[in-house]
Amino acid sequence: MIACENLTKKFGHFTAVDHVSFTVSKGSIFGFLGPNGSGKSTVIRMLCGLLEPSQGRATIAGHDVARETERIKSLIGYMSQKFSLYDELTVHENLMFYGRLYGLSGAGLLQRRDELVALAHLEPYLHRRAALLSGGWRQRLAMACALVHKPSVLFLDEPTAGIDPVARRELWDLLFEFSSMGMTLFVTTHYMDEAERCSHVGYIHMSKLVVCGEPDDLKQLPVVNPPESKRLDVTCDHVTVGLQAIRQLPGVRTATVFGQSMHLLVDESVSEQSIRERLAGVGIHQADIRPIAPSLEDVFVALTNRNDGDGR
Amino acid sequence: MKLPFRGFNAILYKEFLVVLRDPLTLFFMFFPPLIEMIAFGYALDNDVKHMAMVVLNEDRTVESRQLIDRFVNTQTFRVVGEVQSVDEMAAAIRQGKAYIGLQIPPNFTRDLHAGRNAQVQVLIDGSSSTIASSALNTALGVSFRESVFRLLGETGRRELPVEVRPQILFNPAMRSPNFFVPGVIGVVLQIATTFATAMSLVRERERGTLEQLLVSPLSRWGLMLGKLVPYLCIGMVMASGLIAIMNWLFHVPIAGSLSALFAGIVVYIFCLLSLGLLVSTRAQNQIQALQMSMVFIMPSVFFSGFIFPRETMPWIFYAIGSLLPTTYFIELARAVILRGASLADFWQHLVILAGMGLALFALCALRFRKKIG
Repeated sequence: MIACENLTKKFGHFTAVDHVSFTVSKGSIFGFLGPNGSGKSTVIRMLCGLLEPSQGRATIAGHDVARETERIKSLIGYMSQKFSLYDELTVHENLMFYGRLYGLSGAGLLQRRDELVALAHLEPYLHRRAALLSGGWRQRLAMACALVHKPSVLFLDEPTAGIDPVARRELWDLLFEFSSMGMTLFVTTHYMDEAERCSHVGYIHMSKLVVCGEPDDLKQLPVVNPPESKRLDVTCDHVTVGLQAIRQLPGVRTATVFGQSMHLLVDESVSEQSIRERLAGVGIHQADIRPIAPSLEDVFVALTNRNDGDGR
Repeated sequence: MKLPFRGFNAILYKEFLVVLRDPLTLFFMFFPPLIEMIAFGYALDNDVKHMAMVVLNEDRTVESRQLIDRFVNTQTFRVVGEVQSVDEMAAAIRQGKAYIGLQIPPNFTRDLHAGRNAQVQVLIDGSSSTIASSALNTALGVSFRESVFRLLGETGRRELPVEVRPQILFNPAMRSPNFFVPGVIGVVLQIATTFATAMSLVRERERGTLEQLLVSPLSRWGLMLGKLVPYLCIGMVMASGLIAIMNWLFHVPIAGSLSALFAGIVVYIFCLLSLGLLVSTRAQNQIQALQMSMVFIMPSVFFSGFIFPRETMPWIFYAIGSLLPTTYFIELARAVILRGASLADFWQHLVILAGMGLALFALCALRFRKKIG
């Protein structure tokens, strides 16, 4: 559905997006991750035809985004980072405006409005001005507006930034629903738990696409699972004290705290017994140790470290 | 499906709602022009009347007092005090207590009766050129009349050998509001409308809604026209208000037809709004839009013939004036309001304004790139 080939964008001497290539198949949820300023929004803007690529090309449903910009406009919906709405207009009026913008009118427009209101559960706020909506409701309205013309691809630029967890979860439920109906979703996010829910993820760092694929495949990558190593979860009391002690243990490569537990990447040779002994040395006698699979965060940390190493 | 004005109806619908819902913008569109109109209308009244005059009468005769009365009877001067010396008279002018000093020397009456040249001195404060030239003309007029009537008495003739009978057409009372107020309407309309459209697209850029519009199939002509029409309506309402104020508050009669005047106004506002849109296609934020609008507004105040007659300007300023829509509108408005001109007399102005408007509108639609960055 979406295909990029060496997509590059330069602003003067600064390369915001550097030879990025990937494909997104129909009906998938593609999570696009990366730190602020890494080029996520620039990629989205090029795919939406808002920015001209400096090099390379991208197609949506086979149409070149730079040359057939008008053609792709009816295919795509775009929800920008700021949930750009007209604050002076009510929910109803925003929907009517976007409907008209996409050429709807009369009974068709009203019918589509009703569908979107039902979809995003906007009934209670139909005649409230957008300026007076909370973040979660603004986001729902922005999404409803982006869907007014039934696009086959929906781009969402950080749709969950700054909204409450309930609204976040409800949004994701909706996204899965759209995906099951065959819509292709392209979502940028900062949240690792959101990335885990995507069918495909891409990680962009310093303008370059570091990795792209299905989350489970990525977790099997050799760079994430170095030879003769294993990942362990250690749950214990006084976890920060324990962390200091474990870091001293020979064979421990990385140790990070996750709430009440710590995640370790250790040499194959490090035994459970040696960990327990080390913890007992600092007064921690109760510990629950079990092997774990790497998380996406582990994948991105490993890849970022490797790439930074390459760069220097 | 490629429609040239695609999305126009949507933008029109939205823009009307946004403008009417935003009382602050409406207030800033309507209130300053009204104040400006009233301020300009009163302040630019340079009919000089009853200027303060001090008198140094060293003659103290019936004749000298008659002469002072002649000065006062012109309505141009009023006596604010008597002084005892030339120094005191000069001081009164220097201190701003009087614009004019009239000195009648001790031998005035004696010289007059002896048939010698009887001299009177008038000191004029030249720091304001309008006031000074008005005072000078009146003073010379008084001296000329006195001389002529005395000569007539001596020769025994009853009538003047030559008499010019001026008749002032169109503004018989020569009131300066009649001249200025139509110009004020032109300038005030420019300020309000250019700013309004210059801001409207820039605000969308700042808020991020422009991006949302650009990913839609909206055409740039549709966008521009949809932005322009609501402000054209508001501009017409504003213009009607200003004309009403002109007529009722400043008592400037409209000699020509109202429809001719409004034809000129529609075309003029269209021109200004296109200019504002052109600014908004360039400006990245509201501050830039303000500054860029000022670049067009300032010359319109000075070089359009609003205050200073264009004919006496150096050629470069005259040329700049020829490029400004305001110049043509003010000429048209004055012709219709004051001289009762019909559109047939001034169709060129209308054509030039329409040409400018269409060119600016086309330029901003073509210049506007449906890309960001």
